[in-house]
Amino acid sequence: MTSRSQRIVFWSLVWFSIIVLSLPTVIVLGASVTAGNIITFPPQGFSLKWYEQIAMARDLRQAFGRSIHVSLICLAVSVPVGTLAGIALTRFRLRFSSLIQVYLLLPFTIPLIGSGIGMMLLFGSWGILGSVWPLGVALAVINLPFIIWSVSSSAAALDGDLELAAASCGAGRIEAFLHVTLPGVMPGVITGGLLMFVLAMSEFLVSLLLTDARTVTLPVQIYNNIRSIITPDLAAVSSVFVVLALLAVWLLDRLVGLEIFLKSK
Amino acid sequence: MTRTPDQDSFRYPLVWRLLDGLNTAADVLWPRKMARFTGWLLLAPALLLVGILVISLVQIAESSLHVLDRSTFMPGEDYTLANYATIADSATYARVLWRSLLGAALTVVFTLLLALPYSYVMVRTTSALTRKALLIVLFLPFFIGQVVRAYGILIVMGRSGAVNDILGLVGIEPLRLLFNFPAVVFGLVQYMLPFAVLMLAPALTAIPREIEAAANSLGANWIRTFRHIVIPMAKPGLVGAGLVVGTLSLTDFAMPAMLGGGSQDFIANAIYDQFFRTADQGLGSALALILVALGSVIVGVIIAFFGAGTLGMGGKK
Repeated sequence: MTSRSQRIVFWSLVWFSIIVLSLPTVIVLGASVTAGNIITFPPQGFSLKWYEQIAMARDLRQAFGRSIHVSLICLAVSVPVGTLAGIALTRFRLRFSSLIQVYLLLPFTIPLIGSGIGMMLLFGSWGILGSVWPLGVALAVINLPFIIWSVSSSAAALDGDLELAAASCGAGRIEAFLHVTLPGVMPGVITGGLLMFVLAMSEFLVSLLLTDARTVTLPVQIYNNIRSIITPDLAAVSSVFVVLALLAVWLLDRLVGLEIFLKSK
Repeated sequence: MTRTPDQDSFRYPLVWRLLDGLNTAADVLWPRKMARFTGWLLLAPALLLVGILVISLVQIAESSLHVLDRSTFMPGEDYTLANYATIADSATYARVLWRSLLGAALTVVFTLLLALPYSYVMVRTTSALTRKALLIVLFLPFFIGQVVRAYGILIVMGRSGAVNDILGLVGIEPLRLLFNFPAVVFGLVQYMLPFAVLMLAPALTAIPREIEAAANSLGANWIRTFRHIVIPMAKPGLVGAGLVVGTLSLTDFAMPAMLGGGSQDFIANAIYDQFFRTADQGLGSALALILVALGSVIVGVIIAFFGAGTLGMGGKK
């Protein structure tokens, strides 16, 4: 960018975007430590009383516990499935591979409301709708492309001769897989798992459709509470998600570097 | 033959035995002559898992063919297309569909307008620190989740929120910024911006700096350079980002529900209401299937034009 006018125009648009993207988050953090009983701007005084209050609130604690539970199930399902699929897509020559790609992208291409309603009907007819674990499986399904993508980009960077070398040193198929292929794709597995966990924690629409009053998870609980009244305790709960997101961004940057998303294909 | 003490003391480790056992088991269960299907074996769990979605769609289709029996409030036995006829005749759904399409179109325009300079600055900046900061600003909201983001917008734009406070400083009466159509579009733009920027950035990275420099040296100012060089060369990225943003906002639920205050329903909200307010499962399913079809057409266009490349998995070059 050489000319002055371009810099001014671009940077003002960029700053506008930065404010639009960050201000709600900053305000939520600010509102969560207000000493007042309603949310005002600027906040009145500093206090952690709302954090105390949410730590005491039984429904929120339980919803948080269920969110963790659901996310762990999502991990347990998606990590092995996604890892094997990611390896299969890159390390093996498969027929109809473009067809498989389209099929495996279905979770992204079917609108979430469609997937959610469909799984609600399906799980209802299987009679498993009242439990927590089906939601974990559902979230593994709708976010599966993320982990496949993450593992397969790791697997693509792995030199195929390594596996042959292992074989010529006497390693069997299982040993070659466990000692060469799996460690090779581990960065992708960890990144993908991280994505899956955080996305499962904050997923809303499918969670709304697949939970009821007894199995509600944290994002749905926040949604239900917002509809009745806006109080600072919700801001405190939301801060949990902000902290989680900060952690995820930091880890993602550590593991693969955020700049990887700028690379041209 | 003399045995060295070394060989005597050597004991075959347990892990090796275990691996040998696994190898033998693998040879029995999956003989080497099956090797050309190993890829399919590894892929099978994923195919099955996504199969859940396919069966779900069949379930929706099945359910959409039954009309709600008003006397028993159970879906009727007969197969009929009456639900689709109801939707086609209904002025309400035409209005909801129109609102969703308009909302999605406006979201695409505003999002691209903001995303293009953002990714351009991010890709072209010489400072690694600036680039990192811009990326973090982008990724944080992505992980925070829609509900919390919408909640933040509710606070900021509320009657006593930050925006009205600032307006108050310059003597403007508090405005009703929430629970109307612009609020929903604003929320959608905020929600979509990270997606759009991340889809545009690789396209902009692919444009060599030298071409822009050449245009400059031939006397083009930056506006002309942008119009004749950057935008045409980034076109695949722009169209791809636009289509993804369009589909996601067309089918969104949370923003219309939370920022529209019940008066700005999109198709997804209408579907939800059919299931949870009216309890008319058939009609809701028919609506859902129409939306899935609409979304698939758009995605089909993306893939037909660009291949699965932008979203593709598996490192085929």
